[in-house]
Amino acid sequence: MTGEQPALPTALAAVAAGPVHGGDTAVATRPGGAQPQSAAPSREGASLEGVPSLTLDSVRVSFGDHVAVRNVSLDIPSREVTALIGPSGCGKTTLLRALNRLHDHTGGRVEGSIKLGDLDLYAPGTRPELVRTRIGMVFQRPNPFPAMSVFENVVSGLRFNGVHGKALLRDAAESALRHAALWDVVKDRLHQPAVRLSGGQQQRLCIARALAVEPEILLMDEPCSALDPIATAKIEELITRLAPEVTIVLVTHNMFQAHRVAGRTAVFLLGEDRVGELVEVGPTAEVFASPRDDRTRAYVSGEVG
Amino acid sequence: MSPDAVSGLVGPGRVIGVRSALRRRRSRLGDQAYSALRWAGAGLFGAVVLGLLVGVGSDSSAALQHSGIGFVWSGTWNPAAGQYGAGILVVDTLLTTAVAMVLMVPIGLGTAVFLSELAPRWLSGPLSTLIGLLAAVPSIVVGLWGLLVLTPIFANQVEPFLASVPVVGWLFRGEAYGPSILLASVVLAVMTLPTMVSLSRTAFGGVPLADREAALALGATRWQVVRRAVFPAARAGVSAAVTLAVGRALGESIAVAMVIGNRPAIPESLTTPGATLGSAIVNQFAEASPGIGTSSVIALGAVLLLLTVAVNAGGQALLRSGAGARAHTAGALR
Amino acid sequence: MSVLLAPSRRELVRTAARRSLRRRRIVGTVVQGLCVVAVVAAVAPLVALVYYTVTRGASTLSWAFLSHAPTPPFIPGGGISTAITGTAEIVGLAIVLAIPISLLAALFLFERSGKLAAALRFSADVLTGVPSIIIGIFAYAVLVLPLHQFSTLAASFALAMLMLPIMIRADEEAMRTIALDLWEAGIALGARRGRVARSVVLRGALPDLVTGNLLAIARAAGETAPLLFTLATPLAAMTLLIYTDGTAAFPSAQRTAWATALVLLSFVLLLSVAARLVAWRISRRAH
Repeated sequence: MTGEQPALPTALAAVAAGPVHGGDTAVATRPGGAQPQSAAPSREGASLEGVPSLTLDSVRVSFGDHVAVRNVSLDIPSREVTALIGPSGCGKTTLLRALNRLHDHTGGRVEGSIKLGDLDLYAPGTRPELVRTRIGMVFQRPNPFPAMSVFENVVSGLRFNGVHGKALLRDAAESALRHAALWDVVKDRLHQPAVRLSGGQQQRLCIARALAVEPEILLMDEPCSALDPIATAKIEELITRLAPEVTIVLVTHNMFQAHRVAGRTAVFLLGEDRVGELVEVGPTAEVFASPRDDRTRAYVSGEVG
Repeated sequence: MSPDAVSGLVGPGRVIGVRSALRRRRSRLGDQAYSALRWAGAGLFGAVVLGLLVGVGSDSSAALQHSGIGFVWSGTWNPAAGQYGAGILVVDTLLTTAVAMVLMVPIGLGTAVFLSELAPRWLSGPLSTLIGLLAAVPSIVVGLWGLLVLTPIFANQVEPFLASVPVVGWLFRGEAYGPSILLASVVLAVMTLPTMVSLSRTAFGGVPLADREAALALGATRWQVVRRAVFPAARAGVSAAVTLAVGRALGESIAVAMVIGNRPAIPESLTTPGATLGSAIVNQFAEASPGIGTSSVIALGAVLLLLTVAVNAGGQALLRSGAGARAHTAGALR
Repeated sequence: MSVLLAPSRRELVRTAARRSLRRRRIVGTVVQGLCVVAVVAAVAPLVALVYYTVTRGASTLSWAFLSHAPTPPFIPGGGISTAITGTAEIVGLAIVLAIPISLLAALFLFERSGKLAAALRFSADVLTGVPSIIIGIFAYAVLVLPLHQFSTLAASFALAMLMLPIMIRADEEAMRTIALDLWEAGIALGARRGRVARSVVLRGALPDLVTGNLLAIARAAGETAPLLFTLATPLAAMTLLIYTDGTAAFPSAQRTAWATALVLLSFVLLLSVAARLVAWRISRRAH
């Protein structure tokens, strides 16, 4: 991790110091019991570097009587970009929001098990606020807080979580903005209103804001769909650079984007009863070049969706 | 697209042409009549507004000639002695409104937060309808209740109790007769509450979901979301709510007249009687001597009109600015 | 830079988050409690108002009370029939004056843009905030002084002035919520502008128009101050009667005041509820 950027202390510390300590995380060593869809190499990678991965087992999300997505069993390996692709309405965003317990506020019911390492996200004793400091999210349309400056936006997550101290916040802000490739743009206008930035810059600000809290996993819900191609390219580059340090789960309706940035891809499609389901998951190259499922082949070749 | 062009396309034959020509003639007349009617409606309304301004202005002119422009702030209102000055009344008006806002704004804000952020859906609907009903209660009924129910309670229990509270008790010292600045403020608070709650609710509701979700995704608790994401975005709307409530409180006359005690003098404490612009107009109008007396009462009305119009215009401007800020954020995405 | 010795920022954030969470949650609970207190304080006045009006007014209320005319003081057997019919007349005439003008002015605002319309809209907004007592003074100056007499016409004029700006803005809002393209589609088909306005926009906006107008009427029916300046006797309207009897020193007068207040309150509340019901019914039938 050399080059123009300062190394993330966390990454080095994690590698050098071994497993990360802390009340609700533990080293993610997967017991036996193979999951058919996940490939072996990434699981070993997870236990080696001590950053837990996400494990989904038979997850179903429903709103009242209507089931949005069902029967999702999936491993999200750490330090990689996993893309969730599929036509609109097949539940990818709904599933993504289950990963940081955002459905606590939407009225959606989440069944099945979602685990971050050994932590069951939906266990009765688990605090959603703490889950969300470990699993961050970037939304489809940039949503910086309109009443705050650039700086205030970036450190807002830290402030929410009780981190104060001017020097600390300043360092964290600079680090996060550098990782979001935004530092040079805003370093002289840190205290100007965030809404004055362009769309692409605002989205990178939102990424910096999410990174400042040092999440282990970053969820990205179609982060480029509201942006022009140049801004999109910048963010894709950013994602690729961030991947080794933060696990990224990227929802995108753009297959080519998945191809460009994701190491693994999960394909979601609508079943006959209009319920979304996971059809296939695997290394991106395989999913696109030699998909195992017929429906996947139909989708990636453009016949469907 | 004019009717002529369309009927020309539709009717090729000469018979049809004649009929459509007649129809064209009638429709043009109908159009004109309708247009004239609309102008009449708008014009009548405009005339009414102008008339109001001119009428109130000219009828108070006699008073102004008598007392000079100092009328607005001069201190004594003593018709018996021929002294007409609105100063005390303005002070009392501002005082009662200020105390009313101190009482009402926290309650109104808290209620709006509850209805908008904390209450389950099945509760917030009926509850806000209930609070809205309070707005429908005529001011005379509130005044009657204030006069016949609250006055004895305040005189015998509330005001002595308040006077005994350490530190704050100084505000409520003195003999408690009942009719008082405090009582008037309470009545005003009750009457302005529904406006505050409903406008604040609208302001909170207008905060985009995206702002809330952004805060949630960073690990904020519900109250942190409200405090850091909702409140700042709703600031203009809430300010508008307070300003419009102030405007309403300034102008309320009947209910205040019934509970304030009609004493145009500087109040020594909140429990002494007083007199506001509105209450003075109500109480003095019947007894005013024709000529200067009536003209002075009307002049009071002019002062009140200026005050309320200024405050209300400010409130409306704030309402509009809230909507404008949202457009600005959305524009940045292009 | 020795990163191995500096505490990992991630750990810092985790610890701070966990430690502060209990405090943050407690603050949230306290605030929630305060808000509940606020809600109770907000609902209490309404409850108290209704309670006292009902308990103190119901005993005097009777069919005789409603149907008999008032009697001279201290002579029993009187009622408030003149006040009820008086209110009905005054409000009725005010409605006849206000609704056509407000509707036409609203159509004017809806269809046109430009400085004149903006000025008109601004004056309507300003006029909604004018205290009712000022309107009363104006009606006095225009209709009472020159003619040297009080009259129900002056009272209706004052109430109409009160209703006008509220109705105009409510009407225009109602029309704007109907898609503008409905109106343009009608015009493009060559129909007369008047007919387009009437059939398309008005019909579509009808529920909201009805609600808005009924609410304005309910508000005007409860006004007292304008009537103070325009009516000759408190017996001519319920609100004035409440004022005069309520401020009188005699318990019997105060009892009459409570009973009249009960009648007025019931009427106004019923009208408000009816306004919302009617709108709900009409919009349901349309779909």
